[in-house]
Formats: sequence, structure tokens, C-alpha cells
Amino acid sequence: MSSSIANETVAATSGQEGFSFYRLVTNIYFLYAVSLCTFFLLWDRVAAWQVFGDSLARPHAVAGKLYDLSQVKFAGTNLAGHIWASTRRVLVGFTLASAIAVPLGLFMALNKYVNAVVKPIFDLFKPMPPIAWVSISILWFGVGEFSKIFIIAIGTFVPCLLNSYNGIRLIEPELYDVIRVLGGNRKDEILQVSFPASFPAIFAGLQISLSIAWTCLLAAELMNARNGMGFLIKRGMDTHQPALVLGGMVLIALMAWLSSLLISRIESRLCPWKRSIDNL
Amino acid sequence: MAYEEVVVKKPLLLRILPFVSVGVFLLLWEWVVVSGIVPSVLLAPPSKVFTLFIDKLSEPNPDGAVLAVHAWTSLQEAFIGYGLSLLVGIPLGLAMGWFKIVEGLARPVFELIRPIPPIAWIPLTVFWFGIGLTGKVFIIWIAGIVPCVINSYVGVRMTQPTLIQMARTYGATDWQIFRQLCIPSALPMVFGALQIALAYCWTNLVGAELLAADTGLGYLITMGGRLGRPDIVVLGMVSVGISGAILGFIIDCLEKKLLAGIRR
Repeated sequence: MSSSIANETVAATSGQEGFSFYRLVTNIYFLYAVSLCTFFLLWDRVAAWQVFGDSLARPHAVAGKLYDLSQVKFAGTNLAGHIWASTRRVLVGFTLASAIAVPLGLFMALNKYVNAVVKPIFDLFKPMPPIAWVSISILWFGVGEFSKIFIIAIGTFVPCLLNSYNGIRLIEPELYDVIRVLGGNRKDEILQVSFPASFPAIFAGLQISLSIAWTCLLAAELMNARNGMGFLIKRGMDTHQPALVLGGMVLIALMAWLSSLLISRIESRLCPWKRSIDNL
Repeated sequence: MAYEEVVVKKPLLLRILPFVSVGVFLLLWEWVVVSGIVPSVLLAPPSKVFTLFIDKLSEPNPDGAVLAVHAWTSLQEAFIGYGLSLLVGIPLGLAMGWFKIVEGLARPVFELIRPIPPIAWIPLTVFWFGIGLTGKVFIIWIAGIVPCVINSYVGVRMTQPTLIQMARTYGATDWQIFRQLCIPSALPMVFGALQIALAYCWTNLVGAELLAADTGLGYLITMGGRLGRPDIVVLGMVSVGISGAILGFIIDCLEKKLLAGIRR
């Protein structure tokens, strides 16, 4: 992570020297600090100089707004209540969809007849953006909890399914040859090769699904909700409070980041053999 | 020794099953609505959607514009936003992969902005730019830039270190290595980004239009929902899906043509 690829081999040879201005300027943590300071300073200045009129809140105003929300009740519940309301929807929708989609994807990849029946129907649904389902799910299920969970489940289903499907189909055939040489039958092939080898792809699918799930949740809550982080953003929009909008954005970004961190932790626990390049 | 290519023909059953399955799906859909199992205020049968499609080609009511106008508005927004995100995201990602200073300066801000779902920007863009073209282009730009940066960055980082060492041995400068070695080897990843970014842009376009628009395919869907017309909603969804699929197909063809020598 320290520098570009080629420099990594060179870095080992450069020893400890005295203080040098060049080394300080190119130190990665120094650059990170400069970058973050510049970002917040710029944000603060742009807001203070009213470049966008009164439609951008200063960073400390956003922090203050979030602190206020955590102290008093807003629309019936405090900050933790809103965060939990959204998180619960994502959890339920995401868990339901992945619990069905992942096994179905694996099954499709292992059995060509199942594949021939199910795949074309998914190819029909695949290009349809999940957010396009918002209107029809409100039409079907009203504005309650279920319609939001439905949108999240629809959005997460397709990437989960496709990734677990491709995870099995893109396994190197040599791995199967090894099992066969060792005297394994079809059952061994599936249990010893297919499942473990498809894990990384399944987790990649779960990561994609999770970020789609938060997007769908937000779309659903912006259209219609009585609590949740999307509701905070929408309320901020309707009453023209940029601090509230930005506060909601910060919260949802934080939750999305935490949940994706959780998935990658589980992944590195479950498939320690997966070598990851220094990914963004 | 030359050998002939062995062509394994798929069994007949496997070839016809996909058509059977789609046909059964459509028939089932038609039947549940026509027979009244699902009330017609909730779902429109495929036949009705199709007749509506023919009507909407020339009839602007009840949502204010013919289908072509909606589609054109959406395409315009998508293309400008997508083009801008490629223009900014790919060079930024490539530079972040190679130049330490660029990575150090750009990465923290990128990591801060990345987890925010693009449609969360809608209220701010409405405040800043109104509900016109600019706001939606901004949202699509934000949505498209993330995969562009990530893929270009990873593409450069995945350049084989041996090649870089070799280039260094021959006395290539940093800039030469970046331009002549890292960028070409990152190209397949960059093209992967084109597809992903397009899908992201298209999804978020619909989101942006659901909330803040007066024409466009997403707006068609919202209006259908507000008017309680499931046929309009389904028509909007199908149009969005089909246009997205066509765009994806075009990018795919471009990629095959441009990368003919690099892939495989």
C-alpha cells in the first residue's frame, strides 16, 4: 500500500536516512492528512461563502445537527431508532434474497436443465434497474414495511444469483481433473471443488448486493417512509435543511461502509486462501 | 499434428427449454391477470402493455410526452453523465494507480464519497441545480465515477512487476513506464469499468428521475404509479430494461472491436 508497484521492490534497498523534505512530502500519511484537511476546509469555505446560497451546511453544523438528533426525539424516535429502522429493512431484505439466490445460482450452475429453465427468465429481469420496482411495489404492497423489503430483496437477488452462478462456471477445469485423478466421484467434485472454489465469487456478489441494497433502501425511503435514514434526508429536502440532508448522507454512508467491512471480515475468515491484491 | 474441432451439439431439449420457459412465464403472467387472480388495478397483462406501447408512440397523455421523448430525455442525461464520469474517472484512477502523490491526495476523499449511495445526493442537487438536466447529470456522474476509478486503479496495480522491472533495467523513465506499459495492460480492466459504470449510471438515472423530473422514463414510471395505472408502470420498466440492455450490447461490441488484440 505504501507506494506504486514498481517502487515496492526498490523500497527495500533504501535505508534510513536523515530528515528530507522530499520524503516528508511524499509520505503517504502526510498526503492523506493534507487531502482530508483540504477537503474539509474547502467544504467549510464553500458553505461559509454561500457559493450555493444557503443550500450547503458547514461541517460543524452537520455534526451539531446529528448530535441534536441523538438527544431529542424526531418524528417519534431518536437517531438510533432511525438508524435501526433502516438497518432492519436492509438486513431482512438482504438475508431473504441471498438465502434464496445463492443456492439457486449454485443449483443452476450444477444442473443444465434447471439452468435452461431459470436462466432466460433472469436474463429478462437482469437489465431492469431495481429502483424501477419502487413504484410497482408501492402499488402492490402499499407504503408499509413490506414494500421496502420487497424492493431491497429484488435488487439484491440478481447480483447474488449471477455471481454464485458464474463462481461455479468459471472454476478452472484442472481442479476437477485433480479430484477425478484422486478417484473422486461427482459428489466429491461438488463438495470438495465447486463449493469452496465458488466462495470468493459468492462473496463478491454479496458485496455488490449490499451496496445495491442500501441504494434501494434509500430510494424506497425517499419515496415514502415515516422513519429511517432516507426519511431524515427526505424531511431535510422538504423543509430545506441542508444540515439534516447531509447528516442523513453521512449516516447512510457510515452504515454502508460498516456493513461492507463486516462482509469482507467474514469472507477473509471463511476463505483465508484467497489472495487479495491491494484493492481499493 | 492437426486436429479437427469437435462440435458437441446440445441436446434438443436443452435448446428448446429456454423458449418454453419464457413462453410459459409470459402466458402465466397474462393468465393470472385476465382470470382475475391478480386484480387488474395491480398488474397489467403483457398484451395490454404491448398495446399501450403502440399507443404511447404517438399519444402524449396522460403523462405529458410520447415514449420517444421520455426515452430521449433519459438517454441524453445518461450519456452526458456517463461521458463526464469516464473523462474524469479513468485518468484519475490510472494516475492513482501509478503516482503515489495522486493516490495520497485523492484516495481519502474518494473513500469518503464512495459509500454514499448516489441517489442520496438528489436533495442537494435539487437545492443546487433545480430539477433540470444539470442535477441529474451530476448524480449520474457521481454514480459512474466510482467504478471507473476503482477499475482503472486496479488495472494499473495489476501490471506484472517483472515487466516494470525490465523496463526500468532498460532505462525507461517513470512516465514512459506509465504510458507505454501500465496503461495498455490496464485496458481490459478499464473496459470492464465501462460496462459496470453504464449499469450504475442507468440505475441511478431511474432513481433520480423517480424523485426529481418532468420527463424521462423514470418519470413515466412514477406517473404510472401516481395515476394507479400498472400498464404505464410496467411499460416504463420494460423500456428502461430494454434501452439499458441495448446500451450494454453496444459497449460490448465496441469492447470486442477495440480489444481484439489484447484480450484472451
